[in-house]
Amino acid sequence: MAEIIDVCPVAELPPGERKLVEWEDLEIGVFNCGGQLFAIEDRCSHDNGPLAEGEFDPESCTVECPRHGSLFDLRTGQPKTLPAYVPVDTYPVIIEDETIKLEVE
Amino acid sequence: MAATPETKTLTENQALAAINADYEQRYGFHDAENYLYKAPKGLNREIVEKISEFKSEPQWMREFRLKALDHFMSRPQPTWGSPLLAEVDYNDIHYFVRASEKPGRSWDDVPEDVKRTFDRLGIPEAERKFLSGVGAQYESEVVYHQVREDLEKQGVIFKDMDSGLREHEDLVREHFATVIPPNDNKLAALNSAVWSGGSFVYVPEGVHVEMPLQAYFRINTENMGQFERTLIIAEPGSYVHYVEGCTAPTYSSSSLHSAVVELIAKPGARIRYTTVQNWSTNVFNLVTKRAVAQEDATVEWVDCNLGSRLTMKYPSVYLMGERAHGEILSIAFAGKGQHQDAGGKIIHAAPNTTSNIFAKSISKDGGRGSYRGLLEIAKGAHGSRSKVVCDALLLDEHSRSDTYPTIRIGEDDVNVGHEATVSKVGDDQLFYLMSHGIPEDEASKLIVNGFIEPITKELPMEYAVEMNRLIELQMEGSIG
Repeated sequence: MAEIIDVCPVAELPPGERKLVEWEDLEIGVFNCGGQLFAIEDRCSHDNGPLAEGEFDPESCTVECPRHGSLFDLRTGQPKTLPAYVPVDTYPVIIEDETIKLEVE
Repeated sequence: MAATPETKTLTENQALAAINADYEQRYGFHDAENYLYKAPKGLNREIVEKISEFKSEPQWMREFRLKALDHFMSRPQPTWGSPLLAEVDYNDIHYFVRASEKPGRSWDDVPEDVKRTFDRLGIPEAERKFLSGVGAQYESEVVYHQVREDLEKQGVIFKDMDSGLREHEDLVREHFATVIPPNDNKLAALNSAVWSGGSFVYVPEGVHVEMPLQAYFRINTENMGQFERTLIIAEPGSYVHYVEGCTAPTYSSSSLHSAVVELIAKPGARIRYTTVQNWSTNVFNLVTKRAVAQEDATVEWVDCNLGSRLTMKYPSVYLMGERAHGEILSIAFAGKGQHQDAGGKIIHAAPNTTSNIFAKSISKDGGRGSYRGLLEIAKGAHGSRSKVVCDALLLDEHSRSDTYPTIRIGEDDVNVGHEATVSKVGDDQLFYLMSHGIPEDEASKLIVNGFIEPITKELPMEYAVEMNRLIELQMEGSIG
């Protein structure tokens, strides 16, 4: 069942920044691409390594897996380059009362 | 007639000497160094910047190289695959050697000494006879490039990679490193930092290039690193066959060859990529080759490894679109002091995709042949079919063969077969043939030829002949 979790106040995640949050056994990266917020699972679909700590390009709204270099589109979770070929999970971001929230399940 | 122990040893030694003598004469010679630029040994930021500057590259490529260099420096040397990997000394390599000003379109433009080398190897002659285009790389850069005019008129691009980037920057930027990102592995990072030469091939929609395009790679300098970069884009419904061959002089110290090859077969396209690798046995050959096959597309790798000290190479195909087909035919011959760690990877990422991997290795005189393969069927790739066959032939008791197959299946409705055999040329096989009046040497050649025939028959005729000749030469006196 879907649940809403708090990430942080809006002011704490300005454009070009990212934040990692944990919920139960999930780790999620929340990214600010020029004012638009996106959230993806912090797990590369190629070999299950951490993903959200990789190089973040706010302009193209992508993150590069630090282990083998797959580039993921933060808007869709789709890999834009190999070796990953399966999209990673994405989560809806909600802004409520000046707070960034995620819908997870 | 059985040989006495003394005559047997003599014959074997003579045969081994004959192998070296032949390589020396045909490929193992080297020319005097008469270069425009030769980087000092070792790798640093300055050398990478120098390469980029020499090539007058756009800023994004310079940044790409420098970022890749950081990846290379920060990654440890892999420890899997072969203990010989530990012998690679990255500080003892020249990373860039420039032999000529720019690639010539006419054979007359190629520097005289380089031309003599390729004349000796028969390159321009080959072009006239049976090729659609040919490229020749000497050290770091391509010195000669030509493609048939009628193909050029149809929009086929066959350039060296440096010219490809200069003249078709948008096309290159869109596809470059999308199949193999710089951070894929340490050697791909190295290539991304210092790449030079290689081929850029673009085949427009619906165009069939009937005769192969060929590239020939030659290392001349001692302690040289060759890092060519090849990108082939086949638009929907097109077809191209690319053939590469490589040789180097025989030196007592090591050279490094580390290429990156990316193939993109768009819907309904077909790419066949044939390699006849015959580096001298002082070359470490550590290559990353990967292809994407979109809907209804076919990619075939025909990979023959005869030379090098150590080869680690696993051409792969990602079947990304429905009904795509991938094929890997791999043959490796490991002689004295050699380790051929070859194989292939197929990833079924879409439904109803099909693939075959046929790998064969022959080990003799203490050589080691390994098959390392991955077959992956992703969740959702229902209706997919794959067959993996890997066979090893051991010619004596000192040689070694290993098989490391990995199969991951994430879908129920699939059909996967795996067969593996290891055989030794046995006394009973030899006895059977000899009882029909075939001499022992001939009999063992027959057994080996029969073993590799399924792969050599896929080679263009002149390569099949060359391959059989090389195998026969390596087989001389191997059993007696």
